[in-house]
This record gives sequence, C-alpha cells and structure tokens, in this order.
Amino acid sequence: MDNFQSSIAEILEVDSVELTDELESFDAWDSLAVLSIIALSDSEYNVPLSAQEINDSKTIEGLKSLIQGKK
Amino acid sequence: MNLKFHKKKITGILTVLPENEVNFDDEIDNYDFSRGQSMKLKLIMGYGKRRVVKEGTTASDLCIFGLNYLFDNNFLKKDEIDAIILVTQSPDHFVPATSHIIQGKLDLKQDMVCLDINQACSGYPIGLNQAFMLLDQEEINKVVVLNADTMSYKVSHKDRGSRPLTGDAASITIVENDSSDSVIYGSVYVDGKGADALIIPAGGFRIPSTAKTAKLETDESGNSRALDHLVMKGDDVFNFVQKEVPPMVDNLLVKADKHKDDIDYYMFHQPNKFMLKKLADKMGIPYDKMPNNVVENFGNASGVSIPTAITHNIGDKLMEGTLLLFLAGFGAGLSWASLLMKMGNLDFCNTIEFKN
Repeated sequence: MDNFQSSIAEILEVDSVELTDELESFDAWDSLAVLSIIALSDSEYNVPLSAQEINDSKTIEGLKSLIQGKK
Repeated sequence: MNLKFHKKKITGILTVLPENEVNFDDEIDNYDFSRGQSMKLKLIMGYGKRRVVKEGTTASDLCIFGLNYLFDNNFLKKDEIDAIILVTQSPDHFVPATSHIIQGKLDLKQDMVCLDINQACSGYPIGLNQAFMLLDQEEINKVVVLNADTMSYKVSHKDRGSRPLTGDAASITIVENDSSDSVIYGSVYVDGKGADALIIPAGGFRIPSTAKTAKLETDESGNSRALDHLVMKGDDVFNFVQKEVPPMVDNLLVKADKHKDDIDYYMFHQPNKFMLKKLADKMGIPYDKMPNNVVENFGNASGVSIPTAITHNIGDKLMEGTLLLFLAGFGAGLSWASLLMKMGNLDFCNTIEFKN
C-alpha cells in the first residue's frame, strides 16, 4: 500500500495527509470523497468497502487498517 | 444460470424519449449542497441533461406513441404482433397489466400473448430472453419487447444521489425467428438478499402510501426523501456491480468461445459515467467500446438505457452492417443478466421524441 497516502491526499484535494488526520477535518470530505475511496479500494486493493465502514474508520490510519484487514 | 437460444434475431429497435429536457445546472439550488460540491459530482458522475415526462404521462403513453410511429412508417403491422412483453417498474396501474392496456388502446388482435415483467435495470436482456422463448411456439412469429419507465415521479427533488441521473423513456424491440443458424448466448442471476439496495419502500401492499410515507426525512449525507421515493444505497450498488458483472462477462465469453477483443461493443446498462468507467477499467475494455454517454444526455431510464445506448451510439452501424454485441444489465432485485449476440441489418434503429 505504498501509494495509499498520496492517493487519499488526491481524493481529499490536499498535498499530503498524515495517518493521524481525521477524515472529517478535510474540507473536501463528503459523500463523493467516500465514493472515490470505495472506488480506489476496489480498483487498487480489490477490497469492497461500504460507506458506513469508511465513516466509522475516523482517521487516515483507521481507513488504512480497514483495507489491510480485508485484504 | 446460462441460457442459449437458436435461430432468433432482433430486426428493429426504437427509442422514445420525452422531448421535455431538464438540466442539472438549473436544479443545483434544490439540493442542500454547495455549488462547488455539486459541480464536482456533475463532472464525475456525468450529470447533465435528462429527459423527463410531464405530469400525467405514463409508460403506456410512451409505448403507444412509439408503436404508432412504427405502424405509420410501415415498420410494423398490427396483425403481425403475436406477443407483447412489457418490462416496467412504473406500470399505469397495479391492476390490470399495462401490456393489456396497450393492446386495448391500439386495437390489437385478441389472439396473442401480453405479459408484464417487473424488472428494472436488467430488464432489457430479461425481456429479450422471454421473447426468444416465446418464439419457440409455432404460432408466434413476431414478439414486441417494450421497455418503459417513468421513475422521475419517484425520485425526491431533494435527493442529489438519484434525481440528477434519472430519466424517463421507452423502447420497442422487434424479435423474430432467424432462418440462418444463429446462436445467442445469455445468462441471468439474482440475489434477493440485496432487495433493499434499490427500493421504493412504500406504495405497495407491505407499506401502503399515506400522509406519513409522503413526509421528507433527511439522511446523514444531506439528501431528503420520503418512503414513497426511490432509495438507493449507492455504495452497496457500486460494490455489487464491480463484484458480479466482470465474472458474468468472463463466463459468457467462455461459453460463447469468444475473446474480449472479438466483441465490437459492450452495450451496458447506464447507471452513471463513473460506474461504467470503473467497470471498463476493471475488465480492460477500452472506453470507446463501452459507451457511457446516456446519463449525461438523457438520464438513466432503467431497462431502457441499453436500447438508448444502442440507438444513440451505433444506430447507423446496425442499419448498414452487423456487429457482435455484449449486452449487460444490472440493478434492482438484485438482478444481473447478459446476452452475447450478433445484431445488424436492422429495419430501423433510431430515436424519436414524444411530444408532451
């Protein structure tokens, strides 16, 4: 998952993200960002995610471990 | 389940679009989102123009208009129609079947089969399957498959997830026996455990419509809708499509002994641009072989989206020559179905406008 943080940064329209960042703290955090993450997880990691799971993961780190846990 | 049909062919496809057009840009202020957010969504999902009927127009109106066009232009004769299959989730009434209303209003013969099928986005291949089977009857030589939906009535004006992509339309497909030794490959799948992924909760017998079911409630992402409205779990539908459609395609290609590259066009149901691009990426199919422009130009009219994609994008090619097509529908039910068939030298393959 080398490109994970840069891919997430792109979706959230920022230059970079830290693992401790809270998802809801980003201006671009909305249902479209959630959908983009679902698509990213499916195409890059072959992991299906629900909107609920993504919202529950709270932080960038939580999101990363969610995907790793389902791989 | 795999299906196979021998000596059947499509001889014409007509799409009927309401002339009334709505633009997403004009509706942005209806939704409880910033303009910037909505413009971003527009770009990715392919929101643009969509065709919707005016109050009072129903599925049978669109079908009757299209059938009269075919009668007037000598593409079809009334007494040739041995069966009508209407695939719709927006019937005129619960009782009787809308196909019977059409038969009556057009004064068609009594010696025929009329059948309504309740299927949504996979309704094009499923309606054709039924037509192919009916044609095995000795007295059935010509089947008219009607796909029609007017779901614009059932999407909340404050639901940015569903309303901007929903259109209304009808299509007419003529199916006949083929004297050449052609084979059509098909497949159908269902998963009723996903029934609530795309559902209109109220209005049937389980939850009848009342003043309470008409009351708008706002969900966590900011969209408001009532129990009388269509509700779609977008994430569940996306994951379902990405999981089930690619293996369905691979399986049918194997059954038909074809390679991905042999297919001239993948004419898929048109949920939105985003989902179709992701599907094409996953399957390694070039975008120009899998058109995704129906939502931005006309809106997604459920089972009518495949014939709309065909008449809009390759209508002329199908009049002049023959193409190998892969058709796939997927949606409410859950339901997913496909057909791999040669199609061409059609008598007609065009789009007309319903005036209202």
